[in-house]
Amino acid sequence: MSLPLVMPTSTGHAPVAPFLRFSTLWIQITGTWCNLECAHCINASGPKEPWLKPLHAEVARAAIREAEELGVKEIYFTGGEPFLHGDILALLALAIQTAPTTVLTNGTLIDAAMADELAALAASAPYSLEIRVSLDDTDREKNDRIRGAGAFDKAIDAIGSLHERGLLPIVTATEITSREHSDGRGMYERFRDFLKARGIEKPRVKIMPVFALGRLARPGGAVLSEDDLEGFDRGTLQCSEARVVADGGVYACPILAGLPGARLSEGGLEASFRDASLYHASCVTCFQTGMTCKNG
Amino acid sequence: MQERIAEYRRIAVFGGVYNNALALHATLEDARRRDVEAVFCLGDMGGFGPHPDRVFPLLKGSGVLAIQGNYDESLAQGKTDCGCGYTDPRDNHFARISYEYTFANTSAENKQWLGALPAHRRIRLGAHRVLMCHGSPRVINEFLWESATPTGLLRRFVREAETDVLLCTHTGIKWHRALPTGGHAVNVGVIGRPENDGSTNVWYTILTAGPDLAVEFVPVHYDFETLARQMDQEGLPPEFSETVRTGWWTTCLENLPSKERSRGKF
Repeated sequence: MSLPLVMPTSTGHAPVAPFLRFSTLWIQITGTWCNLECAHCINASGPKEPWLKPLHAEVARAAIREAEELGVKEIYFTGGEPFLHGDILALLALAIQTAPTTVLTNGTLIDAAMADELAALAASAPYSLEIRVSLDDTDREKNDRIRGAGAFDKAIDAIGSLHERGLLPIVTATEITSREHSDGRGMYERFRDFLKARGIEKPRVKIMPVFALGRLARPGGAVLSEDDLEGFDRGTLQCSEARVVADGGVYACPILAGLPGARLSEGGLEASFRDASLYHASCVTCFQTGMTCKNG
Repeated sequence: MQERIAEYRRIAVFGGVYNNALALHATLEDARRRDVEAVFCLGDMGGFGPHPDRVFPLLKGSGVLAIQGNYDESLAQGKTDCGCGYTDPRDNHFARISYEYTFANTSAENKQWLGALPAHRRIRLGAHRVLMCHGSPRVINEFLWESATPTGLLRRFVREAETDVLLCTHTGIKWHRALPTGGHAVNVGVIGRPENDGSTNVWYTILTAGPDLAVEFVPVHYDFETLARQMDQEGLPPEFSETVRTGWWTTCLENLPSKERSRGKF
């Protein structure tokens, strides 16, 4: 199975980001297995033949236990769609007793029963549970053109269900359709107003740039050089303090999880605590935008 | 050369003065009445409130032993940003207004004083080794919220810093956790703005040595109406004075973890 991504063949001369501290554990729990097939998905996830396999629950459990020993600050679950994983609730229950935990989801599998489970989990835990629901536009047609028919309504239902149970979902949007609006408002304000109009009194919104990756990958993208990084604080890049456990080992960042060039260890977390190569075209986006995949 | 570590039995500690000279005065008076041997401040003298230069005579005159917060570092180094560590556009909007006002109204002499403050302090409270920092021992603006700070991380902090007690501030909401391994982590709170619980008072902390460490959070009531009026007169955003008058945060709250955010009004 080939990787549907632009992948340089060599990482030998790329600049590196130093490993400063271990703060964030990402768990790529479902690999690229997803019930949606979004046009801009950074790892080309979808319902058929995931190129990156889901993780066995025991691999995730071992990573959480090792991360606790190493003093992890926060844990994130991503995919694919994490709620497709049969053990997701048990894994969240373990993670949330260890550290504040976030799940990145498209929201389509969060029905009332799942929202009840998540609310019970959040109430019983010492740490905060954050649910990040992806939505790319406040307009149904524009959103579903990117994310697939029916995705908008299901995500809105999930946001409402979580809100009703006292969870405060973080709505995460990419800038993929931002140029299609001409009302003068920025995306951030538009999403906040949209959520408030639906009775969400504490709207939480995170805007992400679009990466030329996955289904948007184009050959020949520029990569970083040492000259580009002169005077730049590489400690601000998330690969200086985050590690991702995915099928095949431990990787430098969630965007590049599964790519051999970003793999830092084939075993444990601690073995991955070394410089990360900034070899990929997507490293340019992190460098230029200062973005982080974290909540804040 | 070995650093000389001062030893105490009972101290007062606060963070985040945020230009609130009225609360600072009330806090110092209260601490004096409670028989403490020394008063410590964990940084962020500026931001949010009115008339930044009014807090410095109180801090200096009362012999407060301070460390540097991110705000102090930014002011001293002439940075264009407060370095609070916000990522949300709305948080950054209000943080910018607050910083530009404070920067313009803090004297060169006081900026220099801030620049001379240490990043950390170590003391002993009886048998307990204590490390004071602003955000965390590793990063000056790291947010250590109660619901977002794992015990495993705190264990690592105290082990690596070779301390028994870790004191921090920066978030604006106090908490205390006794660690299973025997140490303590205390976020001492701030005296510059209320705690997002609908009460107008602010909080500081008294620590007393003993067989175990005694941690007491002390509420401070002050003339918040006068402060709010001064903020309005200075042209600071009405959202700021609303917080002072109501005890609910209206700005710089997008980075709150969900448990802390749920407890607030906004």
